[in-house]
Amino acid sequence: MLGPDVAWYVAVAAVLFGIGALGVLIRRNTLVVLLSLELMLNAGNLALIALSRHWHNGSGQIFALAVMAVAASEVCVGLGLVVALNRRRLSLDVDTLSELRG
Amino acid sequence: MTGGAWLCLLAPLGGTSLITLCGTRIPRVAAAWIATTSVFVAFGGAVWAFVSLRSQNGHRGEFTTAWTWLESGNFHAGLQLFVDPLSTVMMLIVSGVGGLIVLYSIGYMDGDDEERRYFAYISFFVFSMLLLVEGGNLLLLLAGWGLVGLSSYLLIGFWHERPSAVEAAKKAFVMNAFGDATMALAFFILIAHTHSLSFVSGFGVGLSPTAVNLVALGLLGGAAAKSAQIPLQTWLPDAMEGPTPVSALIHAATMVTAGVYLIARTHFIFEQARTVELIAAGTGALTLLVAGLIALVQVDIKRVIAYSTMSQIGYMFLGAGVGAYSSGMFHLMTHAFFKALLFMTAGLAIHALAGEQDIRNMRGLGRLMPFTKWCFLAGALALVGIPPFSGFFSKDSIVASTAALGTWYGWIFWVCGIAGAFLTGLYTFRLWFLVFPGEPSPFVREHHHKHHGREGAWTMLVPVGVLAVLATVGGWLQWSPQWHPFSDWLEPAARTLAVAAPTNTQEYYTSVATVLAGLAGIAVAWAIYSERKLAIPAAPFWRRTLEHKFWFDELYDAVFYKPTAAFAAALRREFEEPVVLQTGPDLGRTTLETGGFVRRIQTGLLRTYVLFLAAGAAGVVLAFLIAK
Repeated sequence: MLGPDVAWYVAVAAVLFGIGALGVLIRRNTLVVLLSLELMLNAGNLALIALSRHWHNGSGQIFALAVMAVAASEVCVGLGLVVALNRRRLSLDVDTLSELRG
Repeated sequence: MTGGAWLCLLAPLGGTSLITLCGTRIPRVAAAWIATTSVFVAFGGAVWAFVSLRSQNGHRGEFTTAWTWLESGNFHAGLQLFVDPLSTVMMLIVSGVGGLIVLYSIGYMDGDDEERRYFAYISFFVFSMLLLVEGGNLLLLLAGWGLVGLSSYLLIGFWHERPSAVEAAKKAFVMNAFGDATMALAFFILIAHTHSLSFVSGFGVGLSPTAVNLVALGLLGGAAAKSAQIPLQTWLPDAMEGPTPVSALIHAATMVTAGVYLIARTHFIFEQARTVELIAAGTGALTLLVAGLIALVQVDIKRVIAYSTMSQIGYMFLGAGVGAYSSGMFHLMTHAFFKALLFMTAGLAIHALAGEQDIRNMRGLGRLMPFTKWCFLAGALALVGIPPFSGFFSKDSIVASTAALGTWYGWIFWVCGIAGAFLTGLYTFRLWFLVFPGEPSPFVREHHHKHHGREGAWTMLVPVGVLAVLATVGGWLQWSPQWHPFSDWLEPAARTLAVAAPTNTQEYYTSVATVLAGLAGIAVAWAIYSERKLAIPAAPFWRRTLEHKFWFDELYDAVFYKPTAAFAAALRREFEEPVVLQTGPDLGRTTLETGGFVRRIQTGLLRTYVLFLAAGAAGVVLAFLIAK
């Protein structure tokens, strides 16, 4: 087997996921939140592919492809929302968008 | 033959529908004549059925089925009529006497506000009773039975602006519903055991003794409720709240006779449950005495006659109960004649006195209304059973058949029958002497008014005249010791039991005894109420007991109504108000409070949701790790 042990890949994936989650939690700019979401999804992809290689099972790669498709559509919707917000001259700060407060 | 039966059944229904559909588009008189015509057409149908059944050899009876009405597993019940000697006799009585009563109501109800409704109801009543007697299975009989209860409810409460009439209607309905329920239970047992309710000959044979006794008891409960026998008699006197022709119809042609018909029709079952049959006879004997005693102190002319009905139905139950079905049915027929006559003459008197019903005010009415007087006398003599009036021929054979039993209870029944004859003479002629002979009282002079110079409209006088003739000669059809075409006619349908067939000697000495008892009753009534030679015995306690009708109403009030009402009130206090009524507001308040608490979670901040998601995911991961 070439390259480092699978544990490293998974560790990197976990770190990426944590960064993404923190970004979603802490950042207030909508675009950055979307970016962080992408980061989390790709952390997932990395883990899937690494483990797929580790177990010699192709299913993980197929899953990763599916996740990419989902991520692409999610970005479409997300960016669409951002454009719509901008057109209405609304703030892009997620904390100010709290009309659904109970 | 079956065509006649269908015509007889459907004509009154057609009359009802026509009056109902036409509504106010036809004048009142037209509604009245539609009803009358429809019932007389029914009588024509009955005669047709009777004549064609007579021309058949053996006249066993014939079923005619329109279609299968109910089907469930191996149980079938058709919309089926049964034409046999018993049902044709009932058809003739119901439609014949009923037709005369409807004709009489044209005059009686003239000018009432809701005449059309009255005539729709009354022909519906006749239809219900015809369905009851013509139905070819017990299920159709029960349908007729229930419809009779419904139409009696509608007619007793016809003057719905009077609270007492509404009360009486409800009472009649509830008491009858009790009987309907016991009958329905009996039918369930029959269906469970024999899978059939049809009147094919020998139905209900082969049941276990317990089952057959239960079935007979259930049927007896229904018969007692409909025929106002003890202990379900309390509705009958109150039913006098209805218009007088309705009382005549309920008492003479329809409704109360249904119980006797039921016993005769289901005698196969009753004969297998001989004890229950004798209980029926005992009920009749008790009722005829109790009703006769209560009638002695009533002051309302219609109530006296109502109690006499109860008493006479008691005789019929006695006859049918001991097994002399044809004697019971024969008394049913003569009773229909003279009881309708008595009610109609009472109606003439009430009409002429502008609605007065208290006999203490009516003295000397005979001077002003001779026709009414003589017709009433014919009815009264028939009721007491003085030869040659019709009651003599029918009542005496019933009493004689109890003598034929020859057992100790047979003799008790016999003594009851004779005592009943004495009471009948006493209360009937108390009524007669108080109302008709003598100088008219000031009240009568003041209130009496003639109808265009006559005693009533011709529509009222003609039926009274016809029935007076029938009450006089109707009994000559059969004098059991010498000729008995009526019993022969009924033999294929309801043969008199051998134990209840009296010998000629028994017939003769019973006749002598009943006639003497009746005459003695008349003599006592004459001495007390006409000549005032005898004082009315002063027995305050007994008088009060009789005026309170043996406290049956009070007893039922205490046993059934009061505990139920108290229980309901307690439930309301202890359960409904604290539990049911509080639950609604409580539910609402709790929901509001919970909602108010939960809404705090909805911050609207994306980060909170994500935090919860992340925490949840972390929790799930941890849980999996620990579980592993």
